[in-house]
Amino acid sequence: MGLQYVLRRVATAIFTIVLIVLLNFLLFRAMPGSPERILLGRMPGVTPQILQETRERWGLDKPLVPDQLVRYVASTLQGDLGFSYSARGRPVTDVLAQRLGPTLLLFGLGEAFAIVMGLVLGAYSGWKRGGVVDYVGNGVSLILYSTPYFLLGMGLLLVFATGLGWFPTFGMSTAGATYAGPVDRLVDYGSHLVLPLATVALGLIGQYAILMRSSVIETLGEDYVTTARAMGFRDTRVLRHHALPNAMLPTVTLVAINLGYVVAGAITVEVVFNWPGLGTLTVDALSSRDYPVLQGVFLLLSVAVVFANLAADLIYGVLDPRVRT
Amino acid sequence: MPQPPRTRAVRSIAVLALVGGLLLPAAAPAAAADPLILRVGTDQKLETLNPWHSVTVADYEIFQLQYDLLVSFGQNLEPSPGFADTWESSDDALTHTFHIRDGMKWSDGEPATCEDARWTYQFVLDVVASETGYVGSGYLEPYLTNTGAKTVTCTDASTLVVETEFPTTLLTQAYIPILPKHIWSQYTQEQIGDAEADGFFVNEPPVVGSGPYVAVEWEPGQFIRMARNENYWGKAGAADEVIFQTFAGSDTMVQALKAGAVDYIRGISADLWDALEGEPDIATVEGFSNGYSYLSWNTKGNSEGYNGSTSALTDVAFRDALGYALDLDKLVDATLAGHGVAGDSQVPPYHAKWYVQPAERRTFDLAEADRRLTAAGYTRNAAGNRVDKDGKEINLRLTWPDSEEEMATNAQFIQGWFAELGITVDAYVTEEGKLLSDLVGPGLDGTADWDFYMWGWVGDPDPMSLLSFFTSFQIDNLNDSFYANARYDELFELQQRATDEAQRHALIQEMQEIFYRDSPYHVLYYDNVLDAYRTDKFVGWINQPPEGGTPIFGYGYPGYLALIDAASVTPEPTAAPTEAPTASEGAATPAPSADGGPASGGDNTTILLLAAVVAIVTIVVVGLLMARRRSAAPTEDE
Repeated sequence: MGLQYVLRRVATAIFTIVLIVLLNFLLFRAMPGSPERILLGRMPGVTPQILQETRERWGLDKPLVPDQLVRYVASTLQGDLGFSYSARGRPVTDVLAQRLGPTLLLFGLGEAFAIVMGLVLGAYSGWKRGGVVDYVGNGVSLILYSTPYFLLGMGLLLVFATGLGWFPTFGMSTAGATYAGPVDRLVDYGSHLVLPLATVALGLIGQYAILMRSSVIETLGEDYVTTARAMGFRDTRVLRHHALPNAMLPTVTLVAINLGYVVAGAITVEVVFNWPGLGTLTVDALSSRDYPVLQGVFLLLSVAVVFANLAADLIYGVLDPRVRT
Repeated sequence: MPQPPRTRAVRSIAVLALVGGLLLPAAAPAAAADPLILRVGTDQKLETLNPWHSVTVADYEIFQLQYDLLVSFGQNLEPSPGFADTWESSDDALTHTFHIRDGMKWSDGEPATCEDARWTYQFVLDVVASETGYVGSGYLEPYLTNTGAKTVTCTDASTLVVETEFPTTLLTQAYIPILPKHIWSQYTQEQIGDAEADGFFVNEPPVVGSGPYVAVEWEPGQFIRMARNENYWGKAGAADEVIFQTFAGSDTMVQALKAGAVDYIRGISADLWDALEGEPDIATVEGFSNGYSYLSWNTKGNSEGYNGSTSALTDVAFRDALGYALDLDKLVDATLAGHGVAGDSQVPPYHAKWYVQPAERRTFDLAEADRRLTAAGYTRNAAGNRVDKDGKEINLRLTWPDSEEEMATNAQFIQGWFAELGITVDAYVTEEGKLLSDLVGPGLDGTADWDFYMWGWVGDPDPMSLLSFFTSFQIDNLNDSFYANARYDELFELQQRATDEAQRHALIQEMQEIFYRDSPYHVLYYDNVLDAYRTDKFVGWINQPPEGGTPIFGYGYPGYLALIDAASVTPEPTAAPTEAPTASEGAATPAPSADGGPASGGDNTTILLLAAVVAIVTIVVVGLLMARRRSAAPTEDE
């Protein structure tokens, strides 16, 4: 892969991130209402003096440009995203870090499951087009693809948690549980993970399978596949060496872009299962008007999308020689 | 085709089912914890263990469980022993003596003495006298300043003496947690009160307190785990631990209650609460709210730098007339699904001791409203629109904060009713932070550019704070209607100093009459609190107060100590024994209906399971049929 190609992609990504930081700054300053009133809430005993002090402390008495902007960019670059309004005394970065792990765990595993199962199912359906697996798989995929996460999650929750009692209803672990050993702990965390993970994976499998299927069907009609068959190669070889690599291209893009939307997708699944990740954090921050945290989430989310796109571009370059320059 | 795909597919489905069937139940949690845990679910966040920063009901619940108030609250909201055992006031009610229990200890084993109480009260007095003037969220200091407290001293290790500027009975109502001096005095006022200060005192667990339970673990935004304080001075509670769990969604919280993963849930929406009725082992409780939702008028209208749209807003007759155009029962039905009471006084009926219903309560009568408006000089013009005394058409702006979504329903009705009177209402929601700054009057550099708006207040065990919102000293502060009435102000100060209950009642009654007559607010309704709890793990749930209260999330902690381990009560608990620590008589817990017909809990689940099975079978069968038909049909390109 050409160095120039990589450099160009990286430069674009950096430029996008700079724009995002600027937008993030402006967006939250464009919010209606005066920030010092939001900070103080319905506090009894607010005097003009207290308002003024609050403005000074948050730098709100300085002009937006350049003072506030410079201050914002400088502290963002240093990884200082300010303090959460509602989580008193905790820096935003701490709050984000605490919630990032659970989200990555849930969606990392969910994506992994969905990629493997979705691609296999899709490839097989496309290859054996018209077979039972194709019909059943495609039907199920369509249903899963069109079902919103919260509906799927609520259904699983009602049946397997509240109804059958096989799995816990909420959270990542049992609060206040004492574990006999690491295995015990693992079982507890694992059982909490099953339903949210199933929701995420099922939601994604449909999407990936459908795309992979149509992509495989498309490549199967290509001349080079016919040629390969005419040359007498075995079916599996044709599939593995000629059809699949080409069919992978659009799927990789989708998967990579999806990775960036992990947080966005997290919101509904996490709320249904009360999973302590970035999704529930976003909902909480919205309801309590915790602007610094929201700003942090937005920054994290948009940077994640940029990186995912960059990754997609680079992987694309490896997979498809035509885009390397 | 080398192999018939059907058999292979069927086989793998069977294998999957088998594996699933074997694996899944095995993975279910077997971790049944040994300690008896009371699990409480709330939709509010649990974000602070530093009591000065408490804002939400959940925050208060946690601090009052781990710290004692100087004087606590019993089941009937009567003053009951807290950090102090007994108390008395001098005849002139200017000197107040509190006897601190001998031999009391903090949860870390340090002696808990008068000095701790003195330090805490002195801290508040110092804060108020300081340049900042407040600490944390600024909510707790008024409890002490309202009493006129001026000096706090310990005459010996167990005697606290508070002297007040004026006679008062309100020291027993002071909602201020007594903190261990040996912990808190290590921090400056800034470190305690300012969350962004260097060395801010978060009060991380294990928290040192004197209450029945103290926080031992805290996952911010998730849960706070509290363990029994072995040094607690009173009777030990049945629960070994209390865990407060925060939920992002009400639906999940209700599911958790049904599954037995939580034992008590607070603040459920009306539809979910209604659906819980009749569930086995679950009791629902509807408590009166110690607060109300209101419609506030910009009573300064367009005078003195205020920017109401019409001078009519300043006119009592105008506001009074419009009170007849509000069908409050309709709003209770439509907005609260019937779970509330139409409002009138600024002192909610929750305060059974103080609430007085207005003698002449307005009823919904548009003809009467029309008559009164016309009589007051607000006539209609040729176009049928009502005009004010400046000859201007009256077009009012109505808003509410976006945090109170349900207010939109109220707005629609109000729009309709006022339209009948020839008054157009422009109704819109406002972002809460913006609303807070929009409301402010010229005294705080604001413009007060609004006409009327809706929000709500929540009160204390004493009606002081709810009465104070209409005093002129609270303008540019919590008096958001800018209402000023000299007699009301005078009565407020008189009731603050009244030491005789009957006398104070008469004063407060007059305040309620003035409020209702002058209508700076129209109190729309008192919204009920909807809670639910399980009856198979704990019994002995008592309500505080017995009439119209809830078992927990009240004042003080009698509800927690009254609980009894259900396993220790052998026969099925029809009438749960109640043993309130202070109250003379406990209200019987609503017994779980043991005869609720056929076990109805599983019904929903069975239906869902059946639906899932039917759906899967249908998909498989259709798939098979399609595949069959296809292979029977003439082959296309292969």
